[in-house]
Amino acid sequence: MSADHKQFGDAAQMAAAVRQGEASARELLTTSLARIEATDARVNAFTSQTQDRAFAEADAVDARRSALLKKGESLAALGALAGVPYAVKNLYDIVGEVTLAGSVINRSHPPAEADAFLVKQMKAAGAVLVGALNMDEYAYGFTTENTHYGPCHNPHDLACLSGGSSGGSGAAVAAGQVPLSLGSDTNGSIRVPASLCGVWGLKPTFGRLSRRGTYPFVHSIDHLGPMANSVAGLALAYDALQGPDAHDPGCHAQRVQPVAGALQRSSAGMKGLRIGVLNGYFDDNASAAAREVVALAASTLGTKASVQWPDAGLARAAAFIITASEGGSLHLDDLRTQLASFEPLSVDRFVAGALQPADWYLRAQRFRRIYRDRIHALFVDWDVLITAATPVSAPLIGTEWLDINGTQQPCRAAMGLLTQPISFAGCPVVTAPMWPSGTKGMPLGVQIIAAPWREDLAFAVARQLSDAGVAQVKPAAC
Amino acid sequence: MNEALTLQYVKTTAEMLMLPLEDAQAARVAVHLQRTAAMVSLLDSAGLSAHDELAEIYCPAPFPAADPTLGSTGFNA
Repeated sequence: MSADHKQFGDAAQMAAAVRQGEASARELLTTSLARIEATDARVNAFTSQTQDRAFAEADAVDARRSALLKKGESLAALGALAGVPYAVKNLYDIVGEVTLAGSVINRSHPPAEADAFLVKQMKAAGAVLVGALNMDEYAYGFTTENTHYGPCHNPHDLACLSGGSSGGSGAAVAAGQVPLSLGSDTNGSIRVPASLCGVWGLKPTFGRLSRRGTYPFVHSIDHLGPMANSVAGLALAYDALQGPDAHDPGCHAQRVQPVAGALQRSSAGMKGLRIGVLNGYFDDNASAAAREVVALAASTLGTKASVQWPDAGLARAAAFIITASEGGSLHLDDLRTQLASFEPLSVDRFVAGALQPADWYLRAQRFRRIYRDRIHALFVDWDVLITAATPVSAPLIGTEWLDINGTQQPCRAAMGLLTQPISFAGCPVVTAPMWPSGTKGMPLGVQIIAAPWREDLAFAVARQLSDAGVAQVKPAAC
Repeated sequence: MNEALTLQYVKTTAEMLMLPLEDAQAARVAVHLQRTAAMVSLLDSAGLSAHDELAEIYCPAPFPAADPTLGSTGFNA
């Protein structure tokens, strides 16, 4: 671990340091930029930096602190993330910047006229935006092997995948470049890179956070969420991001339900929680390393209960069909006119999706409704369910096929095997970074799943795993 | 649907949608579509009835927080 990385701390510690005058926002920013400068030529997490804006935001935090002190007012007004550097997947609008969404086609788009809703929320909390992050083109992938901007490398082993599609968001946190990042998750795009890079990630309830001002992929499944180097930082970011938004038709939350305060006070929220381990489909598609981290989490949480998640295979199929159909339809105009400019690794899937019969899509959407009822019934008996986030730890970049328990699976699709059924139900999931044996030091995350709108329960369990020391972010050698 | 029929479907529908596919790409797309077709057949086991409606993809208005005020007659005109 470098000295800079050691000093970095997590978002909660950094914001506290700024409030208490132990560090200025400008100093934290300078540390972050130095770390990016020292590592990103190898990691390739960033596609652009917003240094002028970042210094302006950091200086504004420092100036506000001075003004509050002068007036004798509370420094709480600085915001929960005062001076904390962060970065966003490059599908988030940043005012004055072109929103690439991992593509070259979008380079011809005009710069964004306003920040995305969630970027505004982060700014209001005092966070400092340092740049935009690498991703799979239009979020259609689990590996961030972006042909246009280069693959994002795993900070724990540069030869390995970072995961995707929010690969830059996972790698930037794992590399110690920023303590927080924002990503998106349609079928696993926060949870897969969180698992492979060894960082904390949150895919909230579908409809919890506004998606306004981000480039869409699949309207009926898209989620946004944070990634962080601590569970406390993840909770602070999640609270800052919350807020009803009547202008996003998919934002169903009508009020803020913060978690960070309760999480800081105690772990009493764990008492009496009914926690189970997913079996069947989830066990069948988990490698020995994935089973090992789930078993460790289960023993730490004191549970031996084995639980069947209903229709996991069908849910993955339905999510796959809806994703292809909505994604293909969304990009049909560009597929007609700029086919050769698309990402070679995903263009054929976009085209195939555009050609799918309506019956396939409608059948999948009808299934989603009865699936939701079955998931609601499951959570009558359980509070939190756990399973691995990825079948394996990070494969080498360029891997085409994976052997999962004797079955050959296409690597780029198989990374989402364990995440797709959960996001299709819309349940909130915290991904906890864990470190199995036999993976040459590479991480593999565990999904902590709760019923819709019960992020608080997933966070309570996440804190338990963090306090026990079995889930943690480790420094990367990059 | 076999490979040849899938490829024929891809070429025909691509033309209908004005998608300019070369033969090699049409063949790759057909492979993807066959993979998806296999997933669709999985959904056949879901046992959907005629009454199983779509999950919501459109919301005409927010659900009211409280019942609207009733008219003086006790019912809305």
